[in-house]
Amino acid sequence: MIHVKQIEKSYGARRVLANVSVQFPKGKVTSLIGPNGAGKTTLLMLIARLLEPGQGEILLGGRSIADIRIADYARQVATLRQSPDFKLRLTVEELVAFGRFPYSRGTLTPQDRLAIDEAIDFLSLEALRAAYVDELSGGQRQMAFLAMTIAQQTDIVLLDEPLNNLDMKHAVQIMRALRRLCDEQGRTVILVIHDINFAANYSDHIVAMQGGAVRFSGPAHEVVTEERLRALYDIDFHIVRNERGCVCNYFTPTGA
Amino acid sequence: MRRLFKQRTLWLAVFVLALAFLFVGANLDFDYVIPKRLARLAAIVIGGVCVAVSSIVFQTIAGNRILTPAVMGYEAVYLLLQSLLILAMGMHSVVLLGQNGNFVVSIALMLAYSWAIHYWLFRDGKNNVYFLLLLGFVLTMVIGTFTQFIQLRISPGEFAILQGFSQASFNKAQPAQLLTSALLVGAACVAVLKTLPALDVLALGREQAISLGIDYRRMVQLQLALIAVLVAVSTSLLGPTAFTGIFVANTSYALARTARHRVTLPLGCAIAITIFLAAQLLVEHVFNYRTTVGILVNLVCGAYFLALMVRTRGTV
Repeated sequence: MIHVKQIEKSYGARRVLANVSVQFPKGKVTSLIGPNGAGKTTLLMLIARLLEPGQGEILLGGRSIADIRIADYARQVATLRQSPDFKLRLTVEELVAFGRFPYSRGTLTPQDRLAIDEAIDFLSLEALRAAYVDELSGGQRQMAFLAMTIAQQTDIVLLDEPLNNLDMKHAVQIMRALRRLCDEQGRTVILVIHDINFAANYSDHIVAMQGGAVRFSGPAHEVVTEERLRALYDIDFHIVRNERGCVCNYFTPTGA
Repeated sequence: MRRLFKQRTLWLAVFVLALAFLFVGANLDFDYVIPKRLARLAAIVIGGVCVAVSSIVFQTIAGNRILTPAVMGYEAVYLLLQSLLILAMGMHSVVLLGQNGNFVVSIALMLAYSWAIHYWLFRDGKNNVYFLLLLGFVLTMVIGTFTQFIQLRISPGEFAILQGFSQASFNKAQPAQLLTSALLVGAACVAVLKTLPALDVLALGREQAISLGIDYRRMVQLQLALIAVLVAVSTSLLGPTAFTGIFVANTSYALARTARHRVTLPLGCAIAITIFLAAQLLVEHVFNYRTTVGILVNLVCGAYFLALMVRTRGTV
């Protein structure tokens, strides 16, 4: 359980998060949604400890994350950010091996090798194992980075817009992998995502943000309603539900 | 396998060049010529290691392949210090501080400069390569002009001393200074060796490094401090090396075909030593001292830098 308590964060004079308090349930997939500039990524980066909060604190299992050594934190929380311009000459296997750095600090043990194999296997990347990361397509590269994050074997996985610039096939692959991480391995997955349909169909829990504050949060089916989405994004939605999930249509707004 | 082969070939080249450097035209004179050449060889090896390691580690931290300590004005700061010392104390400064005193002051100043760079430029990991590059060049230019201004205010004798500082050469190293340098560089290299895996992680960028449990701020501070020591040693031992670092680092990446520092750092050292040895051989035996190592090396490496800028057109 991650408990965000009265967090405030400003960049210079601009306040991006104001008095944000929210909880992220353990062992669930939680999506952070909301319009641009809502503070979603900032909140995620604060949980990842890539940023320091101005005020307030974040508790992980009842303990303030600021009190945890960064080396220990890396064994509990893994973060994946976008990696658009990756120019390092590394193979997929070498990249995934970095996920073991928090444990082995560079010298791989047999246990580490097992974790690397499992992560590569989990995402079916065996064929790309010896490929160079800088020569992969955007989607494959994102999978390789995700494999590194998985090899880190943390209870909590944070992802910042993991579907950015991916085609539909890779987007579905990534989302299914995240779902399986949660269902099969019991990990807590928190992601910032712009595609409302992926958020609605793949997450258990949704936190909706707007203007630096949490607008509403709750189980996915409670949050994804026409009126709430309209209030959040300021455009009309038409939601179609069937046994395979739901589709939020906002492409052809009526009456707007 | 091919990588290993390349590395072996390169080290073999270093070895052959070193032997050639020691014995060509020396008539096996073990009393004078060869000890003198050994001292120069030591300066070349120490300088090569300094240039290669400092440049590659700096590029890892800065996350690009154009910036090096030399481009960022470290050497300009060193020259400014030498000018100020001579302006303030005249020729006495050389006597007063002695080689090692000057050395210690230089290292302290470089550390301070490192700290300033770290404080102003790497805050929050926001670094725009072109901003840094421009800043480095402007700083180098401003400090250079300031140094020239000082040079106009000192006597010809003092000016000659300053000239000695501002041109790369392997001839000025004294045995005592070589020993201190070797010890310092050895210590810095041990520290770098201990953090090799962490350097690989740092290359992934600030955010990924933190996410993998690196205490980013402290690690960057440590590496910048090591760089400061290495640059101070190389500058006081050889003089300014300007674009050599860029050439060495990029050639090393191209030959290594991996971003692992375990490979790129030793390879870089071999390349730097090869370049210096080749240049020194040319100066001694082909140009008969009518040109300097600094001019030769900068000609090649400066041209490479220009080519790199044009070829990549801002994608570095």
